[in-house]
Amino acid sequence: MTKTNNSKTVLFALSGFIITILGLIMVKNNLVQIDYLQTLPYLMIGIGCGIFGHNFGEIIRQQTNKKYPEEAKRIDIELKDERNLAIANKSKAKAFDLMIYVYGAVLFSLALMQADFKVIIILTISYLFVTLSGIYFRADVEKEM
Amino acid sequence: MKNRLESIRKELGIKQEDLAAALEVSRQTIGSLENGRYNPSIILAFKIARYFKMNIEDIFIYEEEENDENK
Repeated sequence: MTKTNNSKTVLFALSGFIITILGLIMVKNNLVQIDYLQTLPYLMIGIGCGIFGHNFGEIIRQQTNKKYPEEAKRIDIELKDERNLAIANKSKAKAFDLMIYVYGAVLFSLALMQADFKVIIILTISYLFVTLSGIYFRADVEKEM
Repeated sequence: MKNRLESIRKELGIKQEDLAAALEVSRQTIGSLENGRYNPSIILAFKIARYFKMNIEDIFIYEEEENDENK
């Protein structure tokens, strides 16, 4: 891990923390008066916590790696291990196949329940998006191999 | 595909952990290779052959009738 990456992580963690604090101050003092911006402080808290948590975790990981280089090497090997990657890819592929059926069943059930048209159309578009993404990635990977 | 990995490793008195560390794979991968549950990539097969200073064919034995990878 380079020094630039280290300082970037610290900078991101700090900005996440500041965004969260700003969001909390805005909620506590009810600073947002404009109607359509009422959700802004809550979004700031959510996004801030996400950025802070991710980067703070990364800082802790870097510190631990420095302390225990042997353990860091073992974790790195485990992550890059071809059998582990094959297992992860196979299970993801199976879960994706299952998701396609589940998605279809949910859509069908919602249609039978005569759910709101907007709900059904949003689900149908996302279902199509997922299936089309599958086709796109297949074509993309075929070019690579 | 069968392999002679376990017997070769034991003949040379190498531990699974040491072989795994030398090949930069997990110990479980070595175990699975030895049990025949996992077939290595061509790169790993070359690494293994190079480690033992042997040919790939001396370690891995291809058996056509058992070639059912698509199941």
